[in-house]
Amino acid sequence: MLRFWPVWVLLLGGLLFWGLQRPDPEVLGSVRVGRPAPTFSLPVLAPYRDRFGPELGVGETLEKPVFLNIWASWCIPCRTEAPLLESFYRRYQDQVLVLGVNVQDREEEALKFIAQYGLSFPSVYDARGRIGIEYGYTGVPETFIISKERKVLARHIGELSESKLQEYLQQVRP
Amino acid sequence: MKRMRGWLLGLVLSPLLGALAQPVPNTPPPDFPPQVFEIARELRCPVCQGESAAESNAGIALEMRRIIAEQLEQGKSPAEIKQFFVERYGDWILFEPPARGLTLWVWLSPLLGLLLLGYGLWRHQARAKALAQAQAEGVSEEEIARLEAELDRR
Repeated sequence: MLRFWPVWVLLLGGLLFWGLQRPDPEVLGSVRVGRPAPTFSLPVLAPYRDRFGPELGVGETLEKPVFLNIWASWCIPCRTEAPLLESFYRRYQDQVLVLGVNVQDREEEALKFIAQYGLSFPSVYDARGRIGIEYGYTGVPETFIISKERKVLARHIGELSESKLQEYLQQVRP
Repeated sequence: MKRMRGWLLGLVLSPLLGALAQPVPNTPPPDFPPQVFEIARELRCPVCQGESAAESNAGIALEMRRIIAEQLEQGKSPAEIKQFFVERYGDWILFEPPARGLTLWVWLSPLLGLLLLGYGLWRHQARAKALAQAQAEGVSEEEIARLEAELDRR
């Protein structure tokens, strides 16, 4: 067996190389990617009701692409991500809808979070995280990039960055 | 004598009382039927490290158990319920990966390892045997006779 050591070295080296080829760990594959985004409608959190109505979600048809951001007030990365998402939404709200889904949280804590960061993009309340399960989420924060045609283009695990947001914006632009 | 009888009774009863005082292992909390936990045990908790949806106290695991309970009430089979989660999370959500595609290798690798080990042992034995035979062929008749005589003497 040892006579074939170059073969073994090549095999193990190949396996290591294959493992290192794994794409960005923050962009994990999802069975939802490439498929239609599940539709839902959830109660809008109080500060947004005047502008967006009592319920909001992903409908059968979309007016613009949606960046569906799953968050919770107790999540530390969500705190650093919130100002970034807010400034992104202010700049590109005519092109995309940033829709927050507050999961596994208390409503009053979510409202405090929104007030603290002055978030103007709408958020809906999903206390039990059922919509998150529908999308196959694995934690918070997690963002699903949905095209205007209601197709899930990407799933982003963890905190977003400005460069990633720009990259996703390019993906959803017609 | 009475004291002795009391001791004996205590000796017999103590393990029984001890057993009664112990909580029954893996008894699910009363809110869900045991079948919910049986199914949840086969599903991964998506936010945990190596815990099943039955063991974890994370909110998402609790919600998964709720979904399982609801679907059981609707008359769905365990396979249909597991498929519900596979459609949302992929095969990854199953603790026991199905034997197809890439995961087939996970199932086949122990067998493959055993076969390779068996082949290695067989080759080693065959070589050792061939070496012993070759050495035996090189021994002259005279030497064999001398060795046999030596053995007979002992």
